[in-house]
Amino acid sequence: MTSASIGRTHDRWWAPWLFLAPALAVVVVFILFPFTNTLALSVTDATLLKPGQFIGADNFVRLWSDERFRIAMINSTLYVICVVPVMIAAPLVLAALVNGTTRILGFFRTAFYLPVVMSSVIVGLIWTNLLDQRGLINQLLGWLGAIDTPIGFLSDRWLTLISAMVVTVWTGLGYYMVIYLAAMANIDRSLYEAAAIDGAGPIRQFLHVTVPGVRSTSALIGLFSSVSAFRVFGEVYVLTGGTGGTGGQNTTITMLIQQEGTGLQAQTGYAGAISMVMFVVLGGLLAAQLWFQNRGGDK
Amino acid sequence: MFRRTARFALPVVAALALSACGIGGGSDTADTTATVSGEVKGEITFQTWNLKGGYEKYFTDLVTAFQTANPGTTVKWIDQPPEGYQDKLSADAAAGSLPDVVDIGPEAAFTLANAGMLLDLSKTDPDAAKDYLPKAWEANKFASLGGGIYAYPWYLNTGPSFYNTALLDKCGVPKDNLPATYDALFAAGEAMAAKCKSGETMVGRLPAIETFGAYGVPLMNAEGTKFTFNDAKGAELVNHYKKLFEAGGLTEATLNKLQTGEVDAFKAGQVGWLPGSSYTLKDLKATAPKIAETVAIAPHVTNDKPNMYIESLAVNAKSKNTATAVAFAKFATNKANQLGFSNQAAIFPSATGALDDAYFTTDDGTPETKLRVESAKAVSEAIVYWPAAFSSKSVDFLREQIALAVLGKKDVQAALDESVKYADENLPK
Repeated sequence: MTSASIGRTHDRWWAPWLFLAPALAVVVVFILFPFTNTLALSVTDATLLKPGQFIGADNFVRLWSDERFRIAMINSTLYVICVVPVMIAAPLVLAALVNGTTRILGFFRTAFYLPVVMSSVIVGLIWTNLLDQRGLINQLLGWLGAIDTPIGFLSDRWLTLISAMVVTVWTGLGYYMVIYLAAMANIDRSLYEAAAIDGAGPIRQFLHVTVPGVRSTSALIGLFSSVSAFRVFGEVYVLTGGTGGTGGQNTTITMLIQQEGTGLQAQTGYAGAISMVMFVVLGGLLAAQLWFQNRGGDK
Repeated sequence: MFRRTARFALPVVAALALSACGIGGGSDTADTTATVSGEVKGEITFQTWNLKGGYEKYFTDLVTAFQTANPGTTVKWIDQPPEGYQDKLSADAAAGSLPDVVDIGPEAAFTLANAGMLLDLSKTDPDAAKDYLPKAWEANKFASLGGGIYAYPWYLNTGPSFYNTALLDKCGVPKDNLPATYDALFAAGEAMAAKCKSGETMVGRLPAIETFGAYGVPLMNAEGTKFTFNDAKGAELVNHYKKLFEAGGLTEATLNKLQTGEVDAFKAGQVGWLPGSSYTLKDLKATAPKIAETVAIAPHVTNDKPNMYIESLAVNAKSKNTATAVAFAKFATNKANQLGFSNQAAIFPSATGALDDAYFTTDDGTPETKLRVESAKAVSEAIVYWPAAFSSKSVDFLREQIALAVLGKKDVQAALDESVKYADENLPK
């Protein structure tokens, strides 16, 4: 390389930045700017139509005395606690059951994946028609003589939350099942053969070969599903008709942000403060999971 | 070191991405009180709410007539779908792109006026008051914003009560003496609950702020600076609903229903009473013909005056062609054009003298005409109970608090006190 060509290379100091520019632009526009904007808003009393004044930590202080925030935190946390273990275990079992090349297994794989590609509006309509006071399930139970009055799947606080969790699991199963299937394809077949020679049946093979073989995938799914569960919005929104349930008792954190941060009377400052709390919780959740994952990997 | 940083950075960046919400506040104010001058020329935008389907010809003709009468003007008519109209207004207002003339209710007008986005007609066009029914003109007068008037009244709506007589028969409620007051309604609701145990009820929705008004509860102080519906009368109303719920006269699903849910329940034959509008009969005939065959129409249930809703046309204070926008808003809401619109839609005009037209006073014996004439009579005595300062967020909060009180999870007085506190916090400071 001549000194002239080295000089030309040095002249093009901007070349790497040019390659990075599209990705950086996306990060700045869709991540950094909204985040800094939300952070700045969270310490003001801004509304949609007025920029507001700096009020320090007042919004965060207000959060602790806001009953709706407390309810939303409880609901979102319960969602994580109840949905995540199911989302880690159930798709794995399902993947093990449909892992094969026969046509019938292919049919089941497609059937389980179908809810993933369905529109959330359709999913909402299906489940609302099933769970409504005059829905299919209540009518069936009434016809069987199991109930005298309809069960309030969509009006009782806890039943509504459980119903929403069922919808979340139903729509997410197929997606995580496919991820597990991909992970299972990478498990060395000789391990199953060795286990079979040692006398292990299908259940033992599943527990001692498949489960350890997809451990890192399970951790990843735990990570994804816990973040999704904490940010749950669509299922609860659709099943409660957008109201957050009777007395707002099914409101989740994301719904509360939507309620406070949208509309002509939006309190953008307060909504920003809720978003920041959500950010801290999600950051903590991700950090904890990564720490557990790395700790497990080191052993 | 790098690995440690990366380990820390990864969750932070991921959480950044997952929680990022682009919400912003911003505003720059305009002079909302200066006298409007200048030529009626140039282009303006006129935004309506869900009026394209069915009334396209009326509005196209209206725009053409205005443009013909005012050469050099162009009116660009935009109609927004029914869903998310408030969100559309919010987005436009926040972006500073509010249409020049906007179809708006008092509550949205209040918020935009508070942000200095609408012309104050009490300053810019006080003489217009004589062209409209006084109570319609006053509906857009906001005491807590200095008593300004922020929109030209357009159309009004009220309506009688609709009863499902087949359901009343089934549940032992006499249909020859239908409730006209809330006390009679609650009594009928309890009687129905005692006889019908399969989920059918007389009432299909929790009380809204206008229900408090029609029940005789004072909603705000005279200055418009404080809500007052948490008094003994307000608690009495909520206690009626609580008692009705405990007696089985209100289902748990009802506690979460919005107005559309109440209408759907009535159409499904689950609810005996529906506070309707002049449009309700037409809607029932089209979407629930079996129910329409059984309905009985009776006067508005109220302990005071009937309730009424109003839709108005506001003028953007930052319009580039304010004179044209004002001229068009007045043109669209003048007597002739309001009458023309009323003849096509099931609504009532707010222009002075328009309700004296034979269309609203002559009963030709058909159910539709009878309904129109009776509703028009109700309009003349009705009141817009919903205070403009009671925001949609306060509406939701009140519904939630009442639901908790009715369920027995919160004391009735505490629920009302919290609702008043929440609504007061949203008043202009």
